[in-house]
Amino acid sequence: MRLACVFAPLFPLAARLRSEPDLKGEAVVLVEGNGNAARVVAASRPARRAGVDAGMTLPQARAIVPKLLARARDRESERAAQEAMLEAADAFSPRVEDGGEGVMYLDLEGIPSASLRKDGERAFGRDLISAVEKTGLPARAGIASSKLAARVAAGLPDSPWVVPAGEEAEFLAPLPLARLSPEIEIAETLERWGLRSIGDFAKLPPGEVESRLGSLGRRLHASARGLDLRPLEPRLPALCLSEGLELEWPLVALEPFLFVGHAALERLAARLDGLGLACRRLELTMTLDPDGCDARAIALPAPTRDVKTLLTLVRLELEARPPGSPVVGFIFSAHPDQARRAQLALFGPPALSPDRLATTIARLAALLGADRVVSPRAADGHRPERYAFSGFEPPPPPEIARPLRGGRGLLAVRVLRPPVEIEVVESPGDPGGRPARVRSARGAAPEIAGSVRVAAGPWSMEEGWWSDAPAARDYWDVELSEGGLYRLYRDRASRAWFADGVYD
Amino acid sequence: MGASQALAIERLLAEGLASAGKKDGVLLSGLGARLRRASELPAPLEAPAALPTALAPLDRLLAGGLPRGRLVELSGPRSCGRFSLGIAALAAATSSGLAAALVDLGDHLDPQAAEGAGVDLRYLLWARPRRVREALAAAEMLLGAGFPLVVADLGLCARTRGTPDAAWMRLARSAAAQGAALLLSTPWRASGIAADAVVSASRAHPVWRGSGRAPRLLAGLASRLMLEKLGRATPGAAGALALSVPDVAPSPML
Repeated sequence: MRLACVFAPLFPLAARLRSEPDLKGEAVVLVEGNGNAARVVAASRPARRAGVDAGMTLPQARAIVPKLLARARDRESERAAQEAMLEAADAFSPRVEDGGEGVMYLDLEGIPSASLRKDGERAFGRDLISAVEKTGLPARAGIASSKLAARVAAGLPDSPWVVPAGEEAEFLAPLPLARLSPEIEIAETLERWGLRSIGDFAKLPPGEVESRLGSLGRRLHASARGLDLRPLEPRLPALCLSEGLELEWPLVALEPFLFVGHAALERLAARLDGLGLACRRLELTMTLDPDGCDARAIALPAPTRDVKTLLTLVRLELEARPPGSPVVGFIFSAHPDQARRAQLALFGPPALSPDRLATTIARLAALLGADRVVSPRAADGHRPERYAFSGFEPPPPPEIARPLRGGRGLLAVRVLRPPVEIEVVESPGDPGGRPARVRSARGAAPEIAGSVRVAAGPWSMEEGWWSDAPAARDYWDVELSEGGLYRLYRDRASRAWFADGVYD
Repeated sequence: MGASQALAIERLLAEGLASAGKKDGVLLSGLGARLRRASELPAPLEAPAALPTALAPLDRLLAGGLPRGRLVELSGPRSCGRFSLGIAALAAATSSGLAAALVDLGDHLDPQAAEGAGVDLRYLLWARPRRVREALAAAEMLLGAGFPLVVADLGLCARTRGTPDAAWMRLARSAAAQGAALLLSTPWRASGIAADAVVSASRAHPVWRGSGRAPRLLAGLASRLMLEKLGRATPGAAGALALSVPDVAPSPML
């Protein structure tokens, strides 16, 4: 079986630089530990050129490069970078194993692009490196028939390196035994036996090795001969995508948080884009100072990967409910869903772009509220103010444009929600309670006042007599002296008058 | 610009044109190359296609309907028929399969009545802002999303002075950029010079059935539409608008 190994050199540092791209090109070190005891784990190229190396203490490194930037290891950045690498590899092979710490293996069996193309596996390796580099990580690749050979080849310069099939043992033979990463006890034993290279070890008879070193020794020996006893273990795709950052200092204001959050959302959107998915639900988990965490879930009206929209929703959420403590870390998790697609019609009216529509609805929902950006629906009942709604998901437009129907010129009513309470002077001597003069309460909107020129009614309406909130009303259409044409009603239970519509 | 400056520019222009005439095929250079008489400016591209409202008086005034890529302002007092015109425009668009948006300041839409008037509610997006500012922002976003028709109804709100002219210009430009028809329905003239077409509706006359002591029945409403502005066309055209109450036989007066 042919395998490709992709390896991100200096992975913890690379992951950190991916989260903070502004640091690229600077002398940066990644440290573990606190204060003067902090030790350099990895150094960027400018720092290495100046003489800083892994293992130094931070004061030693700063003595060499006074303006050295130091960052702590960020497990969240590393996890997100590893996920991004794996997602990039998903576009090349359906079977990808997560090797951890910036390493992954791809099964190349049956991949036509690896076998049929000119320059075959090497070109495949180049494409793979290019795809991983697009996620913001440096990458090297090696292709061989065993994991160890592929991993070793990936570490060599002049990447991608291809080990021809069947030559894995020869390729590994001159390498030191340490490349096999044996357990300490086994390494000491092998040293006592006088073995120095993988080739020396591979020459030993397998049965003898197993009888002396056990199953662990048998596995090591197989690796030394270019064989994999453990098959490739494909990973299961993640249910949600996450990006986050552990901050160097606590953030108390919203704007700086949104600034760093914007970069994380951009990375998240790029990953969704790469998978052809969009975000249906966004979760934000904030680590608070000194302890505790705050988790939020933001439901989106339609799947989107528009960073501006997502950021606006996060802003509105945090403005409405601030976390209450300084934030020292955060994770955005996107629950993916299929982005909407539209089929264009040749002869029919154009359809709206589902992506743009989803983004617009999300932005409008953030501006107005989710229940104020809807598609209206007719509701059962008799109360004029009733309505129902659903999410706006228009059906595909007709394939052939429908002919325009002649307008019916119907008079519409502006419904007043809620109805405006009014004072009504009824016509004296009219047993039906015909309104003669109307005035709305001070400050009511819209203002309604005037004497009634013509009144038509009453028309009775009863609904929900069986319920807790029955409606029993007597309706009137009235024309006022100021020119307005209104729909008024008197509530039979309270005897109060209301205006619930304006003919317009 | 002073008269002397105008003369100088005119002279430059004449020189530039003259030199172009002498040296056939040689491009003008310098300032003359960038100057043209207004009469020589290219005529506006052919009139953009219009979205008919299926209401003959309004379509006649607007030369076929709501022009795409243009802001049409419809203003008028309470009960002049503005809302009915907006519903008619939405009905015409959605019934032919076009998506449309209603920005409804004041939350006035009656979905049942709109459906009865011919609006295909599945194609209608209903945005319900609370303030004028939100309404304008919503209309701009909806235009940007590609809706071919956006009806922005400012309801019965009182006149506000806080809306800058730039906001209306932005709306007009969004409509132009997307080639969408934008109908702005306002109780007072609002959009200033940003509107490409302005139609005002006069105070309406309700039409009642029955007289004397007999019970009355509202049959409809008669109003008058006046074209105040339409591109370079001469304003002043007018048309009678008659709207009838659903389920009531049209009155002979309508």
